[in-house]
Amino acid sequence: MILSAIFACVAGMLVIVSRQLNGRLSLSTSPLVSSFWNHVVGFAALTVVGLAIGGLLPAGAGEVPWWVYLGGPLGVVFVASGSWLVARIGAINTALLVVGGQMVSGVAFDLMRSAAPSAWLSGLGVALILAGMALTQKRS
Amino acid sequence: MTDDAAARRLNPLHLVAAFATGGLLTAMVHLNGELARYGNPLFSSWVAHGTGTAAALLLLALLLRRQGAGAPAKPSAPLWAYLGGISGAVTVMLTSFAVNSPIALSGTLALGLAGQVGFGLAADRWGLFGLPARRPGGRDFAALGLILAGSLLIILQGHFA
Repeated sequence: MILSAIFACVAGMLVIVSRQLNGRLSLSTSPLVSSFWNHVVGFAALTVVGLAIGGLLPAGAGEVPWWVYLGGPLGVVFVASGSWLVARIGAINTALLVVGGQMVSGVAFDLMRSAAPSAWLSGLGVALILAGMALTQKRS
Repeated sequence: MTDDAAARRLNPLHLVAAFATGGLLTAMVHLNGELARYGNPLFSSWVAHGTGTAAALLLLALLLRRQGAGAPAKPSAPLWAYLGGISGAVTVMLTSFAVNSPIALSGTLALGLAGQVGFGLAADRWGLFGLPARRPGGRDFAALGLILAGSLLIILQGHFA
C-alpha cells in the first residue's frame, strides 16, 4: 500500500520530468521532432523490458479493432503539444491546465456513456476548473 | 533568467491549447485502456509507442517536403534531453502497478496529481532541465488552486458520495 502510494506519486513527478526533457529538446529541434524521439526511445525501452519479462504479444492481440490503434498517433500530438506549451507557460501551468481539460472531457465522456457516479459532484468539479481557467484571463 | 509570470495574463491561445491537450489525453487513456484490455498494460504502452513512432515519422516526412532548408541552425540539445521517453515508459509501469493495488485508480490519479503539482512547482522555481525559471504570482496560485480542487473533487467523488 505504502509502496503503491509512492509509485503513484513518483509517476506524477516523472510526467513533469518527461515534459521538461521533451520541452528542452523541442527548443533545439521542434515539438514534433521531440515527440518522435520520445516515442522511439520509449519504444526501445519497452521492447527491452518486454523481451526480459515477456507479454509483448498477448493472446488477444489479434482481435484488437483498428481504431484502438489510434491512441499512439494521438500521443504524438499530445507530447508535441506538451513540449510546445511547457516552454511557453511553464511546468505547473501546463500540468494543471492539461489535467483540467482531461477532467472536464472525462466527465463529458462518462456522461455520454451514462456512467457518471455523481452528477452534482462532477458538475461542481467542472465549475471549479472552469472558474480557475477564467481567473487566468483576469487582468491583474 | 526568471520570467515574471505575475505581471502577465496567460495567453488565451495557450490556455485553449492546454485544455484541448487534456481532451486528447482522455481519448488516449480510453484507447490505450482498451488495448490493455485485449492484452496487458505493457503491450498497450509498447504498441502505442510503436504506432506513435510510425505516425511521427509520417508527419515529419510530410512536413519536410513542404519546408525547404534555410531555417536558422539552433544550438544542439544535450544528450539527456533525448531521455523523455524513458521517463514516460517508467511512468506507465509505475502507474499500472499502482492502479492494480489497494489505492486503485482514484488513489493513483490523486497521488499522481500531487506528484505533478509538487515537482511542477519545483521545476518552474529552479528552471529544472534547461527550461526557464518562473515565479507564479498570487492570481496564478488562486487559479491553479481552483483547478486542483475541481480535479480532486472529480477524481475522489466516489469517496465523498
